[in-house]
Amino acid sequence: MRLRLSVDIPNRRDLRVFGGYCVAAAVYIAIGVTWVDFLLSFWVGLAYLVVVAWAVPTFVRWLV
Amino acid sequence: MSWAAHDLEPYAIQKHAGLKLAFVPLLIGSYSPDMMTKWFVYGVHIGPWDLKASDPAQFHRGWPGFGFTHSFVYGIAIGLLIWKVFGSKLWGISFIVGQFAHALTDAGDTVGTMLFFPWTFHFHLDAWAYAGQTGRMTDAAAYFSGLGSMWDAVWIVYGLYSWRVLTSAYFDNYIFRADAFWPWLNRAVPRGALLTLYRAAFFYGTSRWIAWTVWAHVIHHYPYDLSWGGPHWVPAAHP
Repeated sequence: MRLRLSVDIPNRRDLRVFGGYCVAAAVYIAIGVTWVDFLLSFWVGLAYLVVVAWAVPTFVRWLV
Repeated sequence: MSWAAHDLEPYAIQKHAGLKLAFVPLLIGSYSPDMMTKWFVYGVHIGPWDLKASDPAQFHRGWPGFGFTHSFVYGIAIGLLIWKVFGSKLWGISFIVGQFAHALTDAGDTVGTMLFFPWTFHFHLDAWAYAGQTGRMTDAAAYFSGLGSMWDAVWIVYGLYSWRVLTSAYFDNYIFRADAFWPWLNRAVPRGALLTLYRAAFFYGTSRWIAWTVWAHVIHHYPYDLSWGGPHWVPAAHP
């Protein structure tokens, strides 16, 4: 009997989405470290993410 | 208290719950014990007034005080109320699970939680220092220097290991299907925005964990103290 190691690896599309969120996180972290009040509210974080990860890409896709 | 665990734990629970729980009430339950009290623990300035609890730890976790919000009976009471008012057993149970997770996690610090309120005994593991009484900034510096932040890191790593729970396929097959809230919201909000909303708490918890860690150790050079009950450079509160 042969045992095969099964590793759940994200595909290229998953990694591209993850990369986008990492860029959004890097900007969020940079703003937060500079101005910590930015980190305090969940609602600010949520609004930021909706704008950066959904509204802006949707608008750009609509433009091109 | 915990800074990011309450954002992240719902995703770990969701991974194992599948269609059995609804994510939104799970997250609300996870946030609920601190929703109305945290601002008064740290204090706020409103015009000429400074509003702050005279004994933040007692106010936050004790009795008399709002410590009952970190008890099982509180989660069950609000969960039953949600079930009754909204007619959704799924929402009620999901809220209870999220609230239980919060109450159990906060039992990790030096003040602990009155899990079996009205019995006012505090269950506390003393793994990290409760320093809410020192103000928000010192509390942040202390929390992100001790085992509390490592506990948060466990949930970040577990969340990334369970990455499928954050994918659009998982959202479509489990999150959206399990709870009528999402199709209702989808009448006004596009599906892509809903997916972003679903991911927001994980993004928020992970990003601010990194940001506060950088703030505490790169900008301000607070010393790490990962010993049990630490960091010991801050005066920890006890019940």
